[in-house]
Amino acid sequence: MATLTQIPTRVLKITPTRCTGCLRCELACSYVQTGEFQPAKSVIRVSPFEGHTSYAPYTCTQCAEGWCMTACPVGAITINAAGAKDVLDDKCVGCKLCTIACPYGTMFYDTSTRKAFKCNLCGGDPACADACPTAAITYEDVATSDWLADFAAERGQRLLTINGGGR
Amino acid sequence: MPARHLIVGGGTAGINAIRTVREEESAKSEIVLVSAERPYSRMVLPYYLDRSIAESHVFTATAAVLAQWEVKTHLGRRATNLDIKSNTCTLDDGTKVEYDDCMIATGSSAARAPVPGADGKGVHSFWTLDEARGVIAQVQPGTHVVMVGAGFISFTILNSILSLGAKLTIVEIAPRILPRMVDDAAAGLVQGWLEKHGVTVRTNTAVTAIEDAKGRKRLRFKSGGDLVADVVIMATGIRTNLEWLKDSGIAIKRGVVVDDHLRSNVPNVYAAGDVAEGKDLITGEAAVHAIEPTAQEHGRIVGANMAGKAVRYRGSLLANIVEVCHLDAASFGAWEDGKAQAVSGLRPDRPAYRKLLFRGDRLTGAIILGPSSDIWTTNDVGMLKGLVQSGVSLGPWKAHLERHPFDIKPAYIAARTTGTLLPETVLGRPSKAPGDSPVAV
Repeated sequence: MATLTQIPTRVLKITPTRCTGCLRCELACSYVQTGEFQPAKSVIRVSPFEGHTSYAPYTCTQCAEGWCMTACPVGAITINAAGAKDVLDDKCVGCKLCTIACPYGTMFYDTSTRKAFKCNLCGGDPACADACPTAAITYEDVATSDWLADFAAERGQRLLTINGGGR
Repeated sequence: MPARHLIVGGGTAGINAIRTVREEESAKSEIVLVSAERPYSRMVLPYYLDRSIAESHVFTATAAVLAQWEVKTHLGRRATNLDIKSNTCTLDDGTKVEYDDCMIATGSSAARAPVPGADGKGVHSFWTLDEARGVIAQVQPGTHVVMVGAGFISFTILNSILSLGAKLTIVEIAPRILPRMVDDAAAGLVQGWLEKHGVTVRTNTAVTAIEDAKGRKRLRFKSGGDLVADVVIMATGIRTNLEWLKDSGIAIKRGVVVDDHLRSNVPNVYAAGDVAEGKDLITGEAAVHAIEPTAQEHGRIVGANMAGKAVRYRGSLLANIVEVCHLDAASFGAWEDGKAQAVSGLRPDRPAYRKLLFRGDRLTGAIILGPSSDIWTTNDVGMLKGLVQSGVSLGPWKAHLERHPFDIKPAYIAARTTGTLLPETVLGRPSKAPGDSPVAV
């Protein structure tokens, strides 16, 4: 019988006001995840706000439900040693069910390998947090949270007032 | 005496229920599984068809796993009768199984349009593993495959058939493809995309007969020329497997009518998945959602309730996605709601499409279409699901989405969708990884 181990609680904490939009997190992420320096392959994505004058990185919160994990029909998404939901490549068939199950938009799909991929906290040493020069991304023992809403609401509001939100 | 749980049906709902009983129970119960087939996932059969996975990959609970879960199995057997007075289920070999509570999860079967010759040799369905085996043996490079019906079943196996080098024709009786999954505009884009990728699509086409033609098959139509095919796949819908409950006293409308704990009119009989008519999360109305995520959630809720946890189900969200030749098309919630306020954005050249349906300042339905290679297509798929599922009040961001239906993310984040969703779990606790079950009790 399996014994349940204590699930680690360290998560990626985002402090959006510190983000400069330098994209180092995306480069580091894509390199560690796929071996390429290619923001298009990063599973953390820096979003612009206020007409590209503010930025904030957005990635998987490692939510309690794990919608991707419970949706996978072949058990290809599990919880790794760092407590992150992690895709097992040899089990994933590429059916995309996880992409419509995750309500956060943080599942990704590689058209060349036909596999889903996502943030797995780099197994406990997240490259994005290491790479961030301003500590906008930190790896901390805190409860996961909606790190961006207040920031996005405030920064977005100014733009909405002017032109309905167009950038 | 330990509680005796009977699970009728070894599909997605059945296996999820068994797992969850073992996760949630405080004292070891007896679990009996009756299933006409060995448990496997229908979702992955297309990948077996295109030979990217071995047949062994399709099985969800092998004999070893079921033994580890201490499940007593009647595999290859069908339930033929449920006696709700004596709490006894009779199987097709005469075996009688007594239970304390029971879950009906007998799923659905492929239905064939009533056309002369539709049951003939060389005419296939693609729904069960056996049917998949029948098709896989027949499709070779150059094989002409004709699929009758342009719905979800056809579209899940379309890529596989093309990747095997077969020539494909799709015929559909309705004026358009994917009638139950996307609207006219999205259907038109998908059809154009398919034609660009060498697939012949004939809509408004009723098959009148399927005949033998020197080892091949000839399809005749109400209008238009005949087609000669090597393989015919009838993908003309599914029907729920509920005949065996006809005189049981279980209340059935389009499916077994269930309450918010997924109990039928008989309190110790639950229903889940394709056979259950439960609550639609968005409309609040009773609906049959014959989709994988609903079967999973239903199964887990019933498992928890069987284990004595009294878990209420919020309702299921209609969600579908198909990928055809690297074009994704997905829909969520009440995407057909004629009373909703709808806005859409269309970029026919990409092609890309968004349709957003609002009730007040909440998103209640959505359709999205775009190339799989556009990373934001996949991200937007998830965010639209989140907006519909959470029902967050969009406030000023509704106007933003009206003006910029392709710019989902700022609205999603600013409307506090993440924070609204984070406390949400199906079972009221964090989910366990597949490998963590069953837990020791």
